[in-house]
Amino acid sequence: MAHDAADSTVGEFDIRLAHPVAVYWVALLRVITGWWFFHSGLSKVLSDGFAYSYGWRYLRGMGDTVLGPLATWMGYNFPQVIEVMVPLGEMLIGLGLLAGVLVRLASLFGMFFMSLFWVGNADFNHGLVNGDLMGLLMFATMIVLAAGRYYGLDAVIEQTQFVKDHPRLRYLLG
Amino acid sequence: MATNQLGTFDKVMIYTSTGLILLGVVVLGIVEMLDGPPYVAEKTNQAGDVIATGGVDPAIRTGLVIAGVALLMLYGLYKLTAPDSGAAETVR
Repeated sequence: MAHDAADSTVGEFDIRLAHPVAVYWVALLRVITGWWFFHSGLSKVLSDGFAYSYGWRYLRGMGDTVLGPLATWMGYNFPQVIEVMVPLGEMLIGLGLLAGVLVRLASLFGMFFMSLFWVGNADFNHGLVNGDLMGLLMFATMIVLAAGRYYGLDAVIEQTQFVKDHPRLRYLLG
Repeated sequence: MATNQLGTFDKVMIYTSTGLILLGVVVLGIVEMLDGPPYVAEKTNQAGDVIATGGVDPAIRTGLVIAGVALLMLYGLYKLTAPDSGAAETVR
């Protein structure tokens, strides 16, 4: 069988060769990413409650960035929502990844958060690829690999009759 | 799903979005290196003030990457709402 350079799983190579370690590793990455966000949200709640005023001030300061129109629009029009949603959103995203529930949906919001952080922090002293971009890519990886299916509750949820009857939910779970 | 099982629309969306990300990060990163010092998008001092910028405006590079990410997100939403969504997804 011919080797497909674009996909080594086609033909003589088999991704299942790395399966036990790869599965564990994907779950580990998911839990660490989840804790990262859960801790960030929880620490904000413990210090400021659900009144994280730095959130809307941060967004208003992003005016000269590529996400400026969106960030300033949110910062000026929904300051009270931002104060609540930054810590709450971070905690919910983190909990989703920690437990492996609705991982793809949670990671989508994680990508949204990290896009704002990456552009807003603009920490480009050592190049464009920094920890913020890696965080963004980590959430994208959770979506692509359906990380919730490995040692996560999404594996159980996806076996329910409800999800089998509505298969497109797997794009939010998994 | 193997890449050779993707439909034309899937391929266009995936190649375009990842192409935008690679263009912003790698291709323009090479351009920036060739342009000379400071070899990074922005150099700031300890106070956070920008003291030097690279040959390519960071707004252009981050804009390309964000456009790629946004396209990927739209593709995901399309997969969620498309009539045959979930058909190709397998549960282990």
